[in-house]
Amino acid sequence: MPITLDNPLAIYFAVVAGALGLWLMMPKARQTYRVAGGVIAAAGLGLLWLGTYAALDFADLGLSTTAFVYQYIFSAIGIGSAALVITATKPVHSALWFVLVVLASAGLFLTLSAEFMAFAMVIIYGGAILVTYMFVIMLAANAGGPNDPGEDEVFDIRARTPGAAIAAGFLLLAVLLTLSFDATRAPNPAAAAAPDAVIIEEILPNRTAAAVRARIDAEIADVNPTTDAFIHQADPDRLSNVEVVGLDLFMAHPLGIELAGIILLVSLIGAVVIAKTRVEDHPEPRPSGAPHPADQAATAEASA
Amino acid sequence: MIGALPPMPALAVALSEAALGHFLTTGAILFVLGLIGFVTRRNLIVMFLCTEMMFQGVVVSLIAFSVYHGNVTGQTFVIFVLTIAAAEAALALGLVVMLFRRRRTLDAEAWATLHD
Repeated sequence: MPITLDNPLAIYFAVVAGALGLWLMMPKARQTYRVAGGVIAAAGLGLLWLGTYAALDFADLGLSTTAFVYQYIFSAIGIGSAALVITATKPVHSALWFVLVVLASAGLFLTLSAEFMAFAMVIIYGGAILVTYMFVIMLAANAGGPNDPGEDEVFDIRARTPGAAIAAGFLLLAVLLTLSFDATRAPNPAAAAAPDAVIIEEILPNRTAAAVRARIDAEIADVNPTTDAFIHQADPDRLSNVEVVGLDLFMAHPLGIELAGIILLVSLIGAVVIAKTRVEDHPEPRPSGAPHPADQAATAEASA
Repeated sequence: MIGALPPMPALAVALSEAALGHFLTTGAILFVLGLIGFVTRRNLIVMFLCTEMMFQGVVVSLIAFSVYHGNVTGQTFVIFVLTIAAAEAALALGLVVMLFRRRRTLDAEAWATLHD
């Protein structure tokens, strides 16, 4: 009997398998079964996809079959790396696996023809934010001497309440999946966006087909003929993804841009304040009995 | 540009509902894994890494919905999500470095009791 989406049992089995697998993969005090847990969790994901495969109509998918196959691949890479982010025992490994999560989700955006977002993800997340994380991991590591074998910290190899967290998280996941595959949901209302030709005529009057072709010709005058033919296949009457996102951002959300700028400024000031806070470098040992002198100073400052 | 807004552009592809479900699944799984990681990990840096992973799940869902509804605002909103993520990373990592210099550990449990 094929598993259909009217019957959410496949989703529940898959969620239970994923939860069990992730629990086995979690770093625990006694034994960690990483490989077995990974296999069980992957089987859960496979069961979920097999169960939802029956409802697919490849003729009316909305994106090409190739793109949809790539969606499976990128999703598998992203989910597997995400599981490794939260089960790795070294923070550096977590950060590196997170880079793979970012790259996989950028691939997912490419399958959805959201090219600008894909590259913004790679540049901002993979390039900027993750490098910041790497710097902090280096700054805040308990660097031993050259003979230090680099033991894992005890707080990295003991998860805190993994059972309860996984149970709660996968309960949420079961609810989300049941809703997102709910077959009785209302169909997609007709999209109310204007066709590209209207936009081009109203907002970008200089973007005629002839002007675009002339610009392309001017830019690739000395490029080899194969590229030339390839670029000429581009349809000048359609807006590219970058143009679409840019138009929407600057026409419909000017206030949002201003607010984003203010948020960045505030966080910049906050980061400077945090960086200027004086903390002496060799404070009290970890099981803290007496109040720290800096804390006392802060309290005095606060009460003044 | 005060007054009536000009028409908003449409997107090239429009997802079917079953295909949308697959992208939402990936987004939900990424979000839940980030949530579990935030609760279970005790390393401050990894905890904040897990919040970034929750952002990733939300972003995947946003873009999938944007393509499904043929409305580009979902993709535009991702830019603001990225802004918040960058601001959060800068502040959180600054705090982590400061906390580390106080107690010489990245263990979140070291800050479990807020005395004085």
